[in-house]
Amino acid sequence: MIPGMVEKAFKKSVCENIRLHGEGNSRFRVFTPFRFDDGDHLSIILKNSKGKWMLSDEGNTFMHLTYDLDEKDLLKGTRNEIIESALASYSVSNKEGELILGIEDEHYGDALYSYIQALMRISNVTFLSRERARSTFIEDFRAFIIEKVPENRRTFDWYDTSHDPEGIYPVDCKINGMPRPLFIFALPGDDKTRDATINIYKYEQWNLKYRVLGIFENQEEVNRKVLARFSDVCEKQFSALNTNKDRLQKYFSDAMSGG
Amino acid sequence: MAVRFTDNQIQEMLTEIKILPNDWKQSLSLKPKKLGHDESQLDIVGEKGNNFRIKMRLSQFDPLSFSVILCFCLKETNFLFRLCRYNGKHQHTNTIEKQTFFEFHIHYATQRYQGLGVKEDFYAEPSNKYSDIYSALDCLLSDCFFISENDAQLDLFQPGGKK
Repeated sequence: MIPGMVEKAFKKSVCENIRLHGEGNSRFRVFTPFRFDDGDHLSIILKNSKGKWMLSDEGNTFMHLTYDLDEKDLLKGTRNEIIESALASYSVSNKEGELILGIEDEHYGDALYSYIQALMRISNVTFLSRERARSTFIEDFRAFIIEKVPENRRTFDWYDTSHDPEGIYPVDCKINGMPRPLFIFALPGDDKTRDATINIYKYEQWNLKYRVLGIFENQEEVNRKVLARFSDVCEKQFSALNTNKDRLQKYFSDAMSGG
Repeated sequence: MAVRFTDNQIQEMLTEIKILPNDWKQSLSLKPKKLGHDESQLDIVGEKGNNFRIKMRLSQFDPLSFSVILCFCLKETNFLFRLCRYNGKHQHTNTIEKQTFFEFHIHYATQRYQGLGVKEDFYAEPSNKYSDIYSALDCLLSDCFFISENDAQLDLFQPGGKK
């Protein structure tokens, strides 16, 4: 195929895929081939307001993003920076969730290209979190401790300021108020279990007084050698948080009362 | 961790009996958000102990732009797997089937689209079973084996009911 024919084929294909559908007075739906990552096409409306033509998504783009993300995640942090940058780059304004681009000097085609690029860039913020399943074990661990241990008896991310002023060997939570405080490690996997083992050896070297409790996310998934080394230095372990909450509550209660 | 499910697993999740709490209508009443739409959600437990979530979204600009979504919640993670989604009227294209339409449509999670690396509920079918967000919710509840808490308790006393 010669270049002229290729160009003609491109133009035909692009033009055929963009069309307008009337939806009432001075309002048209703009069909384009551009889509979100779920096959739904970008929602674009061409409408006239107070004598001025504009493109609008009528809130569809942000609504679509909230299928995966919380609204608050779009209003702060990296995602918000990407959104604000896309809006500024293509002169699109955000009017209470409706993304609008005014059409200047009847440049409808240019406006449509800019608008599509802005919406596509905004829709890409879902890729920051896509298909990642994050364990809530650490949050669950902290929530459980907060629920069961009075605030004046617990310190999260505690470290020994006299031996370790930079906090290189922390404990996930220290329960105090006893002759021997309870050091609790939340253990989601091999790496953390190794770190906890090293930390406990350090506490031994420093002659700290303490008891150690290890709570695994799933002990069965921890490497046998890693677990064996940890078991040598850990006084008490629970194989999982969720299936041992009653026992843990009793253990905390006994420990805090000096049992 | 990437999470994928087979068509059989998806079917099992869809057909698991799901028990609506007594205050489900109140929980699903839509509340306005800052970014141009109203939303609500409800967490539900299935009879096999699986966790599910219904999400509702309705545009503040266009009553035909809405979504009612049923998600499977993977235990002890923040992962939501979208089992099905009852959408309003807008254009959709199924890439594999090379099919484009502009109608109300229902998305379904499928094994084959997960294999493409796109959203699990990419595939959609046109539907004329509903015409607004509330009738879409009715369809989802009916299609996905939801029963009310009262019905679940009554079932205990039926011949052959769960004991």
